[in-house]
Amino acid sequence: MQAADEVMDMCLLAGEIMLKYGAETYRVEETLERMARASGFTNVHCFTTTTGIFLSFEERKGKEDLMQMVRIDDRMQDLNKVTEVNQVSREFTAGELTVGAAHERLLQIHKTPIHYPIWLIHLAAGVAGSGFSYLFGGRLVDLLPAYIAAVLASVTLVEFERYLKVRFAAEMAAAFIGGSVAIFLVYAGVGSSVDQIIIGSLMPLVPGVQLTNAVRDLLSGDLLAGMSRGVEALLTSLSIASGIALTISLFL
Amino acid sequence: MELLLELVITFAAVIGFGIIFSVPKRALLLGGGIGVITWFVLQTGIAFGASSVFSTLLASLSAATIAHLLAKKIRIPVTTLSIPGILPLVPGSRAYFTMLSFVEGDYIQGLEYGVETMLQAGAIAGGLVLALSIFSFGKGIGNRYEAGH
Repeated sequence: MQAADEVMDMCLLAGEIMLKYGAETYRVEETLERMARASGFTNVHCFTTTTGIFLSFEERKGKEDLMQMVRIDDRMQDLNKVTEVNQVSREFTAGELTVGAAHERLLQIHKTPIHYPIWLIHLAAGVAGSGFSYLFGGRLVDLLPAYIAAVLASVTLVEFERYLKVRFAAEMAAAFIGGSVAIFLVYAGVGSSVDQIIIGSLMPLVPGVQLTNAVRDLLSGDLLAGMSRGVEALLTSLSIASGIALTISLFL
Repeated sequence: MELLLELVITFAAVIGFGIIFSVPKRALLLGGGIGVITWFVLQTGIAFGASSVFSTLLASLSAATIAHLLAKKIRIPVTTLSIPGILPLVPGSRAYFTMLSFVEGDYIQGLEYGVETMLQAGAIAGGLVLALSIFSFGKGIGNRYEAGH
């Protein structure tokens, strides 16, 4: 039996990292419950929504249950961190790690910057955008303008998110810039089909992780978390749509 | 020949998406491979005359099945593989034309595209669900009439 306080801290840190960087709700709950049980506590319950985690367990019979919560303010996608926390929880449950060592490793995961450098992410957004513009019926000459537009949209998104508190405004600005650059490039004579280029430049903004997680959460019975995640994805899509609608009504 | 080029481009685009979502390195190429298979199934289904919604369902089901199998094998959360896998199916172009029609005031055309978008998104979800139910076979959490006890 380990010190309840330490186990609680470690579990909540693991949950916080997972939820913040895009794990599904059921995975967070299952991981925390498993880790608390592996440390020898009973009556383990975990309740997770998109914005917070509650964890409670019984230290020993006759004593009151321990219960704490953490609030998750911002969410982003870094599946590498989710994978690494998963690995730590696997080793902890198998008894290969002590509470202190696990906590140490979680802190390290929390501290490490994003897995890929930011310039690589921008370039990757360009590759993804131009690839999809071709797949959606564009031609080979559209690859270059779609690449430029997608890179600029991605740069706008990241730079705006750094300063703006409202995330949806950043997404709208990114869609606006991406669409405007695409239209401008076609007017300048680079590329042929403006629709395909615009679609390509917007694809990197699509909330793929949230949508998949929302479906998974709803199906596993986490109705509250699934709904809130679905609404988040819907709002993102709407802000992209309004950004691009602004571009079209201004320039097309 | 054209399909081959499309497959190569799918591979590159899916890997690009994988980097945006910070998929770990050991899953990056696998995710790209699943994306290629997804695109191939989708195009084959359409070439055989199936509707695009049904082809999307088949493609999403195969992507999710492969993702589940591989995730178990290399011990990695299944989302890191299933998200790159289903990305080629996202109805981005339908969604865009929906919005375009609404902006231009052509509401009937917009609704038509909108319904198509929804159906395609539903087919992706349906494929994910089918694969999930296959892989959680035997882990039932309870029956409506407690007949299972």
